[in-house]
Amino acid sequence: MTQPIAFLDGPWWPYLALVLFAVLPTEIWRWLAVAFARKLDENSPWLEWVRLVATSLLAGVVAKLVLAAPGALAGVPLAVRLAALAVAVTIVLAWRRVMLAVLVGEVVLIGGAIWLS
Amino acid sequence: MTEAAPNQWLRPWARGFRDAAMLPAWIVGLSLMGVGTLARDVGYPVEAAVLSTFLVWAGPSQVLFFASIAAGAAWSAIALAIGFASLRFLPMTVSLLPLLRRPGQSVAQQMLIAHFVAVTAWVEALRRLPNIPPEQRVGYFLGFANALIVVSAFCTYAGFHLAGIVPTPVAAGLLCLTPIFFLSSMVAGVRGLGDAVAIGFGLALAPVAGWAIGGGFDLIASGVIGGSIAFLIQRWRKARKAGA
Repeated sequence: MTQPIAFLDGPWWPYLALVLFAVLPTEIWRWLAVAFARKLDENSPWLEWVRLVATSLLAGVVAKLVLAAPGALAGVPLAVRLAALAVAVTIVLAWRRVMLAVLVGEVVLIGGAIWLS
Repeated sequence: MTEAAPNQWLRPWARGFRDAAMLPAWIVGLSLMGVGTLARDVGYPVEAAVLSTFLVWAGPSQVLFFASIAAGAAWSAIALAIGFASLRFLPMTVSLLPLLRRPGQSVAQQMLIAHFVAVTAWVEALRRLPNIPPEQRVGYFLGFANALIVVSAFCTYAGFHLAGIVPTPVAAGLLCLTPIFFLSSMVAGVRGLGDAVAIGFGLALAPVAGWAIGGGFDLIASGVIGGSIAFLIQRWRKARKAGA
């Protein structure tokens, strides 16, 4: 687990870390958009590249959360975690229903966890 | 200010709030429930989890933040990964602001509007705003986005506390909400071969990069490589189509 930066550690550390390493890197793009809204070409290939890199990055987060699972999820067999994802993706591809996919994926995961433990 | 001013704001705001609270807010809330569970898992207080929903207001950034802490990534790597994952807000906000532009609008007002830009608010706003009279749009958008953020904050709070009282399999289910929701909505949003390739490479490369690079920079590396390959394939396809 990532440790607090030593000389900034204290009861406020979680909030400081949140603002420095999550709020700022996220919010800055919204502010820049306000500043450059009239100058930016939204069809530029650069923005297309950025969108695809962000998509790939997010898919990577999904893979990490499922393969190197945190907390209680680590106790669920890998096959069950992968099955839950596979079922959800199949439902989205077949019917384009995200809510249904999430619910059925959760049923597979929780059901599998109960059945195999 | 005229006498009608409060009404002009309040009614569209209330209508936007209601429209979001009917369903969209609960879908977003469901995706942020896992953030509360993740925060608890790394030992952060519930206030930090709820605050992350209000201030960051971007599921992927929040998940990256707490999941990277759990994985032991370097702080610089966490900030960089979140910066990259949030870059999409630049084009998204740029494309939304013209719909909400009013005469005499201050920069502070525009920054407030921009803060609420996140995937769901953006998609729904682009779809709904053109049908709303321009003078009511800002009120409607703020009401809509406020409902999303309030319901989501409540769900983040619930996700944190539920994780402590539900049986282990359900706690595992809460933690798995985030990956299942992200992947499902990404797959639902695929608009071309490029998107599909980016998702596929992201899924496949992240574990390999984690083993080869580590330290949190693995996610950035796999994202840049996967996204660039997807970009090149898409360009090549477009060029071929244009040439044929």
